[in-house]
Amino acid sequence: MAVTIIFASDATIEVIKKVDSLPSLAVEDSSSDNDETFKMKFFKSIISDLTVISLFNVDRHYRKVNFEADEVNVANKDMNYVVRYRLTNNDNGALGIELKMLSNNEITFSKNYKIRNPKMYMFVSHTIAYDINKFMGKPSVEWMKRKVIFSRVTSPKKSELVIADYTLSYQHTIVKGGFNVFPKWANKEQTAFYYTALDAKRPTLKHVNIKTGKTKNIKSSDGMMICSDVSLDGNKLLLTMAPNGQPDIYMYDSKTKKTKRITKYGGIDVGAQFMDKETIVFISDRMGYPNIFSKKLGYSSVEQMVYYGKSNSACSTHGSYIVYKSRESSNSFSGNTFNLHLISTETDFIRRLTAVGVNEFPRFSVDGDAIIFIKNYKQQSSIGIIRLNYNKNYLFPLKYGKVQSMDW
Amino acid sequence: MKSIVISSVVTALLVLTGCSDKDPVVDETTSKVKNVAQESDGKSVTEVDPIQEEMVENQNSIVSSNSGDMSSIENEFSSVFFDFDKFSLDSDNKTKVSTGASLANSSAKAFTVKLEGNCDEWGSDEYNFALGLKRANAVKKALVAEGVDANRVTMVSYGESNPTCSDKTKDCWAQNRRVDFKLLP
Repeated sequence: MAVTIIFASDATIEVIKKVDSLPSLAVEDSSSDNDETFKMKFFKSIISDLTVISLFNVDRHYRKVNFEADEVNVANKDMNYVVRYRLTNNDNGALGIELKMLSNNEITFSKNYKIRNPKMYMFVSHTIAYDINKFMGKPSVEWMKRKVIFSRVTSPKKSELVIADYTLSYQHTIVKGGFNVFPKWANKEQTAFYYTALDAKRPTLKHVNIKTGKTKNIKSSDGMMICSDVSLDGNKLLLTMAPNGQPDIYMYDSKTKKTKRITKYGGIDVGAQFMDKETIVFISDRMGYPNIFSKKLGYSSVEQMVYYGKSNSACSTHGSYIVYKSRESSNSFSGNTFNLHLISTETDFIRRLTAVGVNEFPRFSVDGDAIIFIKNYKQQSSIGIIRLNYNKNYLFPLKYGKVQSMDW
Repeated sequence: MKSIVISSVVTALLVLTGCSDKDPVVDETTSKVKNVAQESDGKSVTEVDPIQEEMVENQNSIVSSNSGDMSSIENEFSSVFFDFDKFSLDSDNKTKVSTGASLANSSAKAFTVKLEGNCDEWGSDEYNFALGLKRANAVKKALVAEGVDANRVTMVSYGESNPTCSDKTKDCWAQNRRVDFKLLP
């Protein structure tokens, strides 16, 4: 027996009880004609993905076996499941992957995959984990196959926009040169995105259609111009603009091209997120420090959402849940700690999601199943995935460059 | 040349992203899997086609004050520095802004004044950009109070993305909490 933690239907409440340990799973490589470095990269990727779906106790030993062998490697004979794969190099340069999952030496699941560019092998690995999760009858982990878009500062006033997989191990620069920040997906399908260009005389919001490569200017504002959130149907944008040096929240209708001012507070109002069609949450310093507030559209009153933390300066929403970044020290002389917390508008509970370091850029997955974030701790930056329903955090070390902003 | 690059990029994007709508794409032409007791679907090979390959565009360089005269006048302005998490002007800063206002109304009279607000690394989100903007706005208000035409002053915030110092020290962070004066034609 092992102790794990499961959650009631309210994700802010932790219910702890003893349950059986997770089934064991080992991975076997049957590849022959690929170079050893690539084989190890693929193995590590599939181990990570199978770990992140949180259904198995994944054995990390690398073991080889003939793909057609009737029995699993002798070292894996006590495993509940064995995933066996064979990488093949196709004539056209594509990478082929044959996969089967065995239990008690019987094939329970099998599928073949192909990807034209072998450098994108991690997307196959994500798809395999997605398929195995689905085969096991668990709620979808569609977010594993979604793309992350982020801006990376390369030098002062220089940045690039990058599209990546959810572990940020594959990175493709989509906009290079100039000073471009705050990228935001424009639709659920991730076929277009918005970003802020700071190159021009005034900050300008731009829209890029990835399918056509077409870029168009949406709007400019003196001081600030940021797209903070896009409605589910893609028609409404929550913007932070500051036409008179005053950062406030505005709503832009992409159909009518009309902009409406939503907040009129004399301090700082930024970072608005849709909760539902009538309600937004946003960051404001109306208490003298940044904190999370909500507002019904069309009404002037606002409601304070968080009563914990000295400085809560970023958030992401999904349904009634809000994940927010909280500064837990106030120090201008040394490092500060920023942790992520989860609240629900329907309860008073707060769940702390991280414990140490600087944790930032929290973004819910589209289905609310997971939260992605960046952790900086002891000179190491990582991309983090929090599986709310499994109480598990996973970290993937990040490649070079400081992330400025991120959307999932 | 540029049009050739862009059109080839667009073509590549059309080709490469055309499949991503149906991601994953099933290639029906390959052989069936044998000895399968249970299969997730009836298809043989799932093609994973996740992402476009080409860059969308190149941006122009930042609009900057690089002409000789303008640049030398610009260097006469002094940056204004702020306390941690603050955007108010102390007496030292007020002196710097007064000097800036005199310059703006004399040798820099032909130019637009661009105030660039900046922050330290402790906050890497919209709020930090807003803090940088409030700093720029505090300087703008002081300039206007000293007689500079508000229409000649523009503002931008760069948040923590334009540091002059990248060490992890108190002095370094203090250097990054600042407003720079730039001139535009």
